[in-house]
Amino acid sequence: MSAASSARVTRRSQRGSLLALNETNPLVPYLFLLPHAVFFLVFIVYPVAFGFYVSVHQWDLLSGNSPFVGLKYYAQIFDPSSPQSQFFWRTLLNTAFFTVVSVPLLVGTALGLALLVYRPIFGQNIFRAIFFMPGILSVSVMGILWRWMFDNQSGLINVIREQFFGQAVIQFLTTEGWAWVPIIVGTVWWTIGFNMTLYLAALGGISQSYYEAAQLDGAGPWAQFRFITFPLLSPTTLFIAVTTVLASFQLFGQSLVITGGGPTRSTQSVIQYITEEAFGNNQQSSAAAMAFLFGALMLIFTGFQFRLMAKDLRSSGKDG
Amino acid sequence: MALTVQGSTPRVIKRQQRPTWLMDAPRFVLLMILALIFLAPIYWMLSTSFKPESDAIATPIQWLPAHPTLDNYTEIINSPDGKLWRWTFNSVFTALAFTLAHLTLCVLTAYPLARLKFKGREAWFWIILSSLMVPGIVTLIPSYIMMLQFNWIDTYHALIWPGVAGVFGVFLLRQFFVGIPLELEEAARMDGANSLQVLIYVILPLSVPALVSLAVFAFMGSWNNYVWPLYVATSPDMQTLPVGITSFSQRYVTEYGKLMAGTAIAAIPVLIAYLAAQRYLVSGIALTGMKD
Repeated sequence: MSAASSARVTRRSQRGSLLALNETNPLVPYLFLLPHAVFFLVFIVYPVAFGFYVSVHQWDLLSGNSPFVGLKYYAQIFDPSSPQSQFFWRTLLNTAFFTVVSVPLLVGTALGLALLVYRPIFGQNIFRAIFFMPGILSVSVMGILWRWMFDNQSGLINVIREQFFGQAVIQFLTTEGWAWVPIIVGTVWWTIGFNMTLYLAALGGISQSYYEAAQLDGAGPWAQFRFITFPLLSPTTLFIAVTTVLASFQLFGQSLVITGGGPTRSTQSVIQYITEEAFGNNQQSSAAAMAFLFGALMLIFTGFQFRLMAKDLRSSGKDG
Repeated sequence: MALTVQGSTPRVIKRQQRPTWLMDAPRFVLLMILALIFLAPIYWMLSTSFKPESDAIATPIQWLPAHPTLDNYTEIINSPDGKLWRWTFNSVFTALAFTLAHLTLCVLTAYPLARLKFKGREAWFWIILSSLMVPGIVTLIPSYIMMLQFNWIDTYHALIWPGVAGVFGVFLLRQFFVGIPLELEEAARMDGANSLQVLIYVILPLSVPALVSLAVFAFMGSWNNYVWPLYVATSPDMQTLPVGITSFSQRYVTEYGKLMAGTAIAAIPVLIAYLAAQRYLVSGIALTGMKD
């Protein structure tokens, strides 16, 4: 492999030019880093700083006159008399509710599904493909599908309830409380395949010898799961739980497409509210302040994810 | 007197020799039920899309269209203000350009971070990695204002460039490159290869699985991106498919047949692509534990 490819490589004269890609040039690594670094600084680092700048000014897109206002917009979020405060905390609570309900579902059902399809069975690959498939659809397709499934009058769910079980129609999309059902069911349907696939990969990494030893000791299927599978999956479970919490807190498209955030903001996510403040009410500064506060609250979880990845990095760095 | 040991037969753990399909029958039935539930929304979308409007909401329920028709599709495609083809083109073009740019930047950065020795390597890597702690909403509003200042609203630039420096791909490739045996690289260097040649001729050919997975993720991420294009590409000609079809859903709010036909046109190419690329997608997730 290397012989074949290095045969195509020609020897170059080792001149000291700063653009030459040879080992004597100390700038080579930086030349490699440069293209990504430019985009990284312009589109990731700068916007964070600029966002903070916007949040402490009274940004006005039209006049271009944007006076410094200090922490006014941050204070506003904590002032109970302002509508911004009311809506921010309300939608944050909505998002937290969604997270608390959906994360155990998304982790638990994914594990159950993975255990169901892990052992060989007729049509195993087809089942795996089917369970993963919804995840590739865009959020708008997924949302339109589930809005139709839970339609107040003619949705499949209501029709089945009415026709086969004689139940009265539930106005899922416009009833406070019930409106969460299509959002949560749709989200589980949409994202469970990712988590299932992660669990399947982890299950494949568990040595069969543990199970053989346990069988010799007379352990039944439940004992094997309880004392072998589950403990050995715990790093995966932790990873899945953290990433799923992060994804759930970023709820946006599902509730926007399925319920529009209604009725009366009862399913509006905090991100939807922030975008409404920024683009609907044209209050970019207020929205930027909310985004920063939300980002700071999220730091608890994003920091945790960061630590998990850093750990992964250290353990793999040894051989590199 | 012959001591016989024949009496002590070796202890054999006998497995019950019931046919496995019998053991697996309940699991199989359960999986079938779950699979049907998972497919139901997609089936219902297709079924509705072939029904005249009156049948779409008819009771009793029509599992199969009683009067199958293609009218919904022809009407959606020929609708003067519907821009399905344009949106599809925008999505494909944006996703391809994004994937190409993202992969190039990630490769170029991951290689020195994995293999070259230079001052500030660790520091830069940690700076890049720590940007993972910034949720998208924090940069959304300032980035939008930047697009206004660049005059990039309603252009492909706005759809492509702001996301190309995503760092998850750098992390993924760096981890993969670290695992490639150093000897291969050293052999090429002995033959006089410079760093770029080592990267192109030694590292990249050995990294095809990681590159393909990253490409599939990048393409899907761009294809399904919703928040950003919703605000930076608002004119009907510049909308991407996911944004465009939600505008459909507001127009055909009670015309379920047409709405489902439009949704099916957006969904079916992706489903077909998925069946083709499924292998890479699944192995990619297993490789990285990556989610968006």
